Amino acid sequence: MVFLRSEEHLERWLDRNGWEPGASMTATTLNELAQRWWRTRLERDWRPRTPVESQAILDELGLTGDFWRLT
Amino acid sequence: MHEPDLRIRNEIYSSFVRTGNAPTPSETARILDFAPDDVADAYRRLHDAHALVLFPGSTEIRMLNPFSAVETPHRVEAGDRSWFANCAWDALGIPAALQVNGFVRSACPDCGEELELEVRGGELVRGADLLVHFVVPARCWWEDIGFT
Repeated sequence: MVFLRSEEHLERWLDRNGWEPGASMTATTLNELAQRWWRTRLERDWRPRTPVESQAILDELGLTGDFWRLT
Repeated sequence: MHEPDLRIRNEIYSSFVRTGNAPTPSETARILDFAPDDVADAYRRLHDAHALVLFPGSTEIRMLNPFSAVETPHRVEAGDRSWFANCAWDALGIPAALQVNGFVRSACPDCGEELELEVRGGELVRGADLLVHFVVPARCWWEDIGFT
């Protein structure tokens, strides 16, 4: 996952590498995802999330559809 | 994940945040008073469980997501320290995990221009105009986590 300057830069980068487009989001949405996904990572009582719990985080941010299915 | 593996995993993360270096199985074993071979086996199980990422065929740690144990294009200043992240998501994950403000320096893979983002109080206050792209679908993220 990478940060890019704009859609124009994204299209050029995908073309140059011969990759199909995946999924894009704003950096603001990614930060919301990062806050929810990583916030507990260093807590002493950390336990691995289940796939259902992880999927729920994606769903909460509207990251739905086949591309975002974890299993 | 069994309790001893969780203890080992927590000690690895704690040590990394404390020192900035990923501990070897021997170093972790010394701190926990475990047998080094048992800890090495636990490192491999934690890798298989996606709780950390080892270099192929070794017990050397490459990733403690969101942290990277090796240099990457994603540099993060957070908690009065400097870190490397594995990707864009992890770069914003480091301030989240440390629960501090953070400053991210990355680069556009198209033009190479430096990109800056800043997180304050959990909110993105700089770099909000930037785009993020996921090439790999979610169900395939762990097939090649380095590429992902």
